[in-house]
Amino acid sequence: MAAFDATDYVAGDDIVTTVLLALRLGRPLLIEGEPGAGKTELAKALAEGFDTDLVRLQCYEGLTAENALYEWNYTKQLLAVQADEHGVSGDDSVFTEEYLLERPLVRALSDDHDRPPVLLIDEIDRADEEFEALLLEVLSDFQVSIPELGTVSTDRPPVVVITSNRTRGLSDALKRRCLYLHVEPPSFEKERNIIERKVPELDGAVAAELCGVTQRLREEPFRKHPGVAETLDWARAVAELRAVDDDNSLTPREIEHTLGCLLKEVEDIERVDGTLLEALVESARSARIEAGTG
Amino acid sequence: MRRMPDGDGDRVPNVAGVRDDVRSELITFVRSLRHAGVDVPASAAIVATRALVEVGFDDEKRARAALRAALVGRPEDIDRFDRAFGEFWNRLTAHLSLAETGGSARGADDGDPPGGHLASVGDAELPELDGADPERDDATLDSTHDRTGGIGAVGDAEAAENENETVATATYSPAGQPKRVSVTLSPSTEDEALMRAVGRLSRAVATERGRQWRPTTTGERADVRRSLRKSISTGGAILSVPEQRRTRRASRVLVLADVSRSVLDVVDRSFLLRWLRALRARTRNCRVFLFDTDIKEVTGAFDAGSTRVAVDALRDAETAWGGGTRIGHAVTAVRDEYADAVDRRTTVLIMSDGLEMGDVSELESGMAWLSRRAATVLWLNPLAAAPNYEPAAAGIATALPFVDGLFAFTGPDDITEIARQLTRYGCGGAIGYEHDPRRGNRIQP
Repeated sequence: MAAFDATDYVAGDDIVTTVLLALRLGRPLLIEGEPGAGKTELAKALAEGFDTDLVRLQCYEGLTAENALYEWNYTKQLLAVQADEHGVSGDDSVFTEEYLLERPLVRALSDDHDRPPVLLIDEIDRADEEFEALLLEVLSDFQVSIPELGTVSTDRPPVVVITSNRTRGLSDALKRRCLYLHVEPPSFEKERNIIERKVPELDGAVAAELCGVTQRLREEPFRKHPGVAETLDWARAVAELRAVDDDNSLTPREIEHTLGCLLKEVEDIERVDGTLLEALVESARSARIEAGTG
Repeated sequence: MRRMPDGDGDRVPNVAGVRDDVRSELITFVRSLRHAGVDVPASAAIVATRALVEVGFDDEKRARAALRAALVGRPEDIDRFDRAFGEFWNRLTAHLSLAETGGSARGADDGDPPGGHLASVGDAELPELDGADPERDDATLDSTHDRTGGIGAVGDAEAAENENETVATATYSPAGQPKRVSVTLSPSTEDEALMRAVGRLSRAVATERGRQWRPTTTGERADVRRSLRKSISTGGAILSVPEQRRTRRASRVLVLADVSRSVLDVVDRSFLLRWLRALRARTRNCRVFLFDTDIKEVTGAFDAGSTRVAVDALRDAETAWGGGTRIGHAVTAVRDEYADAVDRRTTVLIMSDGLEMGDVSELESGMAWLSRRAATVLWLNPLAAAPNYEPAAAGIATALPFVDGLFAFTGPDDITEIARQLTRYGCGGAIGYEHDPRRGNRIQP
């Protein structure tokens, strides 16, 4: 909990308990939830809170083992071989750690870190299913087999955080190895708490209004609902456009001009007509009153 | 970088030290989740046990989060998990409360929440609480099941003089942890209401129409066969249409009461015993069997003049109370050993929470036989009183297709409701807990 507090990450009991279990049981943590719900941020908060390295592997379609595990430094190997031929170097093999280019998974297993690092495998649903199979060995035993070198392992396994936006289902084998955490969109109070911590320059009453508007927008049948990340962007934008200590209520014009921070699909923005705008302003007023800052 | 050392076994919680009760409850919970359609990974029960050992039992929210992390892998399963967790937690904390008191009196009003001050199950002391202590003072166990305020209070007006006297029955169960079960006799004012309710139920069962159709002049439907037969004598012309109706039957009642630990922890034992006695008194032909992992006929015990005597008789008979439940075994035992207890005139009342510890295929075949053989099979489930109850546990889900009605069973009002539905709609009608008008308005105990 202290790790989260230190990094201003607002975590509920369920998140704290699940993270605690992942740490104590030494199991990877699979986090699913809507984009912008704070999945990646959780891994960052852990790394920052424990004052350790964050090793990030951003997944994408076509991600290969070379990109995730290791590559051989062919240039260096070639130079070494040529130097050897000219009698400059006496190295026997060019397949040693010296010629190894560590990619995220192997880097997370290396002993170069003062403390076990946090390995963030981000948006694994973007990667191919073959890549999941590759992960199984790493996540089961925290070891990687390199044919030319042997098995790379560590006695201080990294804290593994895997995130997924659920664009596709993950394999049972992978899920079986992980503890599962589904991050729900935050409640009004939690979101307000997040904004007040992350954007302290924004007046508290205005922060409550922002949360009221965001909560109302999440009730609309949009293609993509605003996540916490969008709310924070919006809060920063509103704070930037306002004078310091400006605690006036949000205006329809202000909302309309900054809506691009919240909605990222043109169809969604077009749905915000005058009626909805009035409803948003009403939600903002209600939120200000509810927060007791009106 | 170097080779992997011998793992981190010292960090792994002592799962082997987890009490049997917790293990069996967890396994039952996992099975019920799978039955409800939750995609639970194969090894999830082990991870869940470790997780529970880690977080302990002090905080329901933490335990819920821990088990959810271990057992759920899809967001659509979270609701199903949350629905089932409450039931699981109630059972678990009831078990642990019993172990926690472990022979020391724990005031019902001491303010401690269930399991609120329990040590982690991984603690070394807890396994010592498992075994039954035959020398344990019965009086010290009085309040161990007093979770709902009513549990453990057995009594009737005739036993008023025996107020606060405790009687413990012998215990045995190969599947569960044997524990002595105490029953506190105290005066009750509910007997009259219960006798009225049982009387209504008895009348509803007795006036239920049989399966056979008999010729009558004021029938329910035309007797086509007789009409055709009579038309032969008139050259095929039908001059009158005979009628027929189902006849009333002489009714018999067979009660199979589950006395496993999971049931005894949620049902008011006082009510259970008084209900059985009332049934025996108000029904012409009623046989009573108690079962957990085995089955035993105790009909004679309920012929006694008071509940106190019935409890004594149970103790003398060394009835096995507590432990796991093998409902399928109980039903097939009736089929194999007491086949005369069920015929086409018999209404079978099964009182159980449906949490089967045995083979569900045995339960399925047994229930199929019971359904074919008996006139009516009604399932009375203490858990069905919960507003959000769903028959998702493996046992009850298997048995449900062979049951004419599934009802709640917590008090005289539930008996009255069963009688009302039977009288109004009959056994073939839309009856059951889902048609109970009180459903949704009742407060979960």
